[in-house]
Amino acid sequence: MKYRVFISIIMIEIIVISGLFITAAGMVEKRQKEIEAKKKIVRVLRLTDLSIWTEARYTRHPSQADWFAPFQDYPSSIEHFPAGSILYPSALSEVERDQK
Amino acid sequence: MEAIIRIEKASKCINRGRPNEIWPVKDVSLQILRGEVVVLKGPSGSGKTSLLSLIGCMSRPTEGRILIHGRDVAKLPERFLTDIRRRLFGFIFQQFNLIQGITVRENIMLPLYPTERSFRDMKDRAEELMESLGIIERQHFRVKGLSGGEQQRVAIARALINDPEVVLADEPTAHLDTKLSKDLIEILRKLKGEGKTIVIATHDPLVYEQDIIDRIIEMRDGRIR
Amino acid sequence: MIKHLKILEFAISSLWRRKFKNLGIIFVFSLIIFVLSSILLLTYSFKKEAIAVLEGAPELIVQRISAGRHALMPVEYMKKVEKIPGVGAVIPRLWGYYYDISTGGNYTVMAEYSGLKDLVNIMEGGFTGEKGTCIIGKGISDARFAGIGSIIPIIGADGKVRKLKTAGIFTDESRIITNDLIIVTPDDFRDIFNLPDNMVTDIVVQVYNPTEVDNVARKIKKILPDTRPITKNEILRTYDTLFDWRSGMVLTMFLGAILAFIILAWDKATGLSAEERHEIGILKAIGWETSDVMELKFWEGLVISSLSFLTGLIGGYVHIFFFGASVFSPALKGWSVIFPEFHLMPYINPYQIVVLLFMTVIPYMAATIVPSWKAAITDPDVVMRG
Repeated sequence: MKYRVFISIIMIEIIVISGLFITAAGMVEKRQKEIEAKKKIVRVLRLTDLSIWTEARYTRHPSQADWFAPFQDYPSSIEHFPAGSILYPSALSEVERDQK
Repeated sequence: MEAIIRIEKASKCINRGRPNEIWPVKDVSLQILRGEVVVLKGPSGSGKTSLLSLIGCMSRPTEGRILIHGRDVAKLPERFLTDIRRRLFGFIFQQFNLIQGITVRENIMLPLYPTERSFRDMKDRAEELMESLGIIERQHFRVKGLSGGEQQRVAIARALINDPEVVLADEPTAHLDTKLSKDLIEILRKLKGEGKTIVIATHDPLVYEQDIIDRIIEMRDGRIR
Repeated sequence: MIKHLKILEFAISSLWRRKFKNLGIIFVFSLIIFVLSSILLLTYSFKKEAIAVLEGAPELIVQRISAGRHALMPVEYMKKVEKIPGVGAVIPRLWGYYYDISTGGNYTVMAEYSGLKDLVNIMEGGFTGEKGTCIIGKGISDARFAGIGSIIPIIGADGKVRKLKTAGIFTDESRIITNDLIIVTPDDFRDIFNLPDNMVTDIVVQVYNPTEVDNVARKIKKILPDTRPITKNEILRTYDTLFDWRSGMVLTMFLGAILAFIILAWDKATGLSAEERHEIGILKAIGWETSDVMELKFWEGLVISSLSFLTGLIGGYVHIFFFGASVFSPALKGWSVIFPEFHLMPYINPYQIVVLLFMTVIPYMAATIVPSWKAAITDPDVVMRG
């Protein structure tokens, strides 16, 4: 019976997925320690950003970059770094918005 | 004798109202009695196949009535027609119309898939038929590799799987040589012996000159002569 | 019940006839789900982690802006900020970037004032606060093959080389925040970059009442108009929009996947061949109802799309959480020389999975069923005419 094979495959996949998702929840729980450790580093070193893209100032510290940051090396340069297409411009603060 | 099928002044029109309008069946009336073997005889284009598909509830008449067990089916919704087709008729098509790529057994069981009959039941019935038609050793073959005669037997087994009252055959010998045609006649003879009603559309003398034929209806230009 | 199972059985037989074509479709379809689910899982996990970790970021940072550029801040600014009511401590930060010629990577150099001993259990080695020592992130350690005690040569503003001794290395797990860091003492920092004693990079302002942060920021901006206050909320907002669906790469991958999917669906929708139509005719002629034929097509669509969806989703999960998005990382990396390996936390958003399901499986099912509809409602006698 081919349908039994099909249903078995589907069942196995569903079990695998459920297993992954359930262990994921447990893993998140278990790895809270890591998060706490990282949070501590952030607090002690007074960090503001994730260390992901190190190619330019505004990709290394997106939250610290003003809106001109991508253009500072050359006045008319457009987006140069690939990471710039992943990043959003940094959020404009309430305070700055008040000024505009 | 009781009439299973009665056709009253039935006509079938294709492409109605267009320049290429044709009437393959025109003003036909006939009855088919239980247990009869009837031949619809005529040259190609005479309307045999169209009449056969009207008899088998595969299409509806443009005009006239078709009564099956006394009930007019021409106006019934499609679902009921399908149901009648499934319970009452077994079809043997000219081109066999087998589905390529699946096995002989699956082809034979095909009409029973959308029913509540169990797999076991279907398999038993299919095996029984394959046994009696001598194709049992071919059951796991794919249809493509079979000879013409074997394909025909598969088509016959498929037509019989639902144990129909009426077997309809459209030019059953068209793709067979003389020996295979004679084998086919023997199968039909056996079916007649089991009390089946058989309607054959053919222009092959090898078929309509057989002693099992009870009645010959001659057709020309969509009318009965 | 048995009827539906039997139609499913036939659907699988029917699909199996064209195994290469259908396995091909399952493969492509799985690949699309794989890419889409990878993007969804990666971005969601990233965002969740960023927001959880950066919860520890300073409430308020004040930078000085000069001619649209971040500029050094005179220490007098600190005194002015301290006088604002509601402000607690004002702590200077010293940080900057260093381009390392030998590896071609950019490092982030920070001077730490206090509190590093709290981190001893989160890194290898330790920081004594001694002049001439440093703590480095794992990324730098990897790039320079540096261990504890290794010397990191840094060329200072005067062109002379300083040899910093590695006292500690941040753990692998903390890569996502420490990967490119070099922590040095404030004295070394000023020495390396020739920074005058009366200048700092920017300041962290502690505010007693968290709800007053915006007010304090406003006041600072008024007193010191050439500054830019950055609150923690803005930092979090910045990371909340990270990998937004509008962002370039996500959009490109997403569009590519969607396009491929449309081609697939289009091929299905228009590709009801004469052969398939003939088969539907045969089924109708031997007693299948229109609804049975539709059910057959429904099963055919469901078999392919459910197998593909589940396979793709499992693949995406394994890719992101077991292999750290290794397929994407060349694209994600951009021109970064120092780039972290991801040890992502398996955060999952069930809502996204459901959306993915509806955006892929349902259209595919529709593309399978709808075209058969027309073939299935025609009279079966067409097959009699060959």
